[in-house]
Amino acid sequence: MKITTVIPAYNEADNIGSVIAKLKSYVDEIIVVDDSSHDNTYELARLAGAVVVRHIINRGQGAALRTGTQLALDRGADIIIHFDADDQFQAEDIPDMLEPLRNGSADAVLGSRFLTKKSNLPKMKQYFIMPLARFINRSLFNIKLSDPQSGFRALSRASAQKLKIENDGMAHCTEIIHKLFKNGDRVVEVPITVIYHEFGQKFSGGFKILKDMIIQKLIK
Amino acid sequence: MLQQIIAILIIVFFLIRLFKQKRNGQITPNEFSIWLIFWLIALIAIILLKQIDILVADLGFSGTGINILVYLAVLALIYLVFRMRLNIAKMEKNISELNQALTLKK
Repeated sequence: MKITTVIPAYNEADNIGSVIAKLKSYVDEIIVVDDSSHDNTYELARLAGAVVVRHIINRGQGAALRTGTQLALDRGADIIIHFDADDQFQAEDIPDMLEPLRNGSADAVLGSRFLTKKSNLPKMKQYFIMPLARFINRSLFNIKLSDPQSGFRALSRASAQKLKIENDGMAHCTEIIHKLFKNGDRVVEVPITVIYHEFGQKFSGGFKILKDMIIQKLIK
Repeated sequence: MLQQIIAILIIVFFLIRLFKQKRNGQITPNEFSIWLIFWLIALIAIILLKQIDILVADLGFSGTGINILVYLAVLALIYLVFRMRLNIAKMEKNISELNQALTLKK
């Protein structure tokens, strides 16, 4: 069973080397999609031993994930893990993420920051942004997940083949969750730890996600 | 009356410009038609401003005809901006697909 990690990276020269080094013992292949970084992310990722491709222009994290997922499928991945380049996810969580896919009880596994493991989530996110996103998911889309915005996910090959990521920007995260359920995939959540180095997406980012999702629906 | 004359002169200026652009091949026949219809409607609306006032009053609006025309123009502008936003989003999507194809060299 070939396990491939896809890492979208933009200006991550400070972290990419250590992220790849930590991942190596858990997966068979690491694909880094350099989203047209201005620093030497591309070179450092290559030196660290990853398969690296580069977008000729910056298109956003969603677009980089789409490219990376397609490349992973082309290279025969059986399980595809989406992992961030900013060193906030923990590679040690990967065995737990893989287990439901290996034993056939799930088609897609989403990491959750709100189950048994502890994450140092900023208070604003923990008590305001995430509950709001959770409420929107439950009330509008009938999706009951403890973590409505997790970027750490593992997909079976079949699930990844069905998944067509259309949002180039940060709305891809919500889009992926909705499409997994829409595609009829068996989705489970697994506890993960996320170590925050910075706040990440702001509250205004939520409105941008909503706007991007509406526009994406309209241009179909 | 003076305002109407100024408005008509402005519209005539844009109509002349439109025909020049068509003659020089700067716009497509479709674009020419759309703009011609737009300026002709504007011209008719300015000439028949009094009749529009009466029509608007008959329809039960409290404003004058010119007010209603301005409101309609604002609505039209909002719609055009919305259409442009959608067109840009479509172009962005195409650029991303092209970018991916080039990256994966398919």
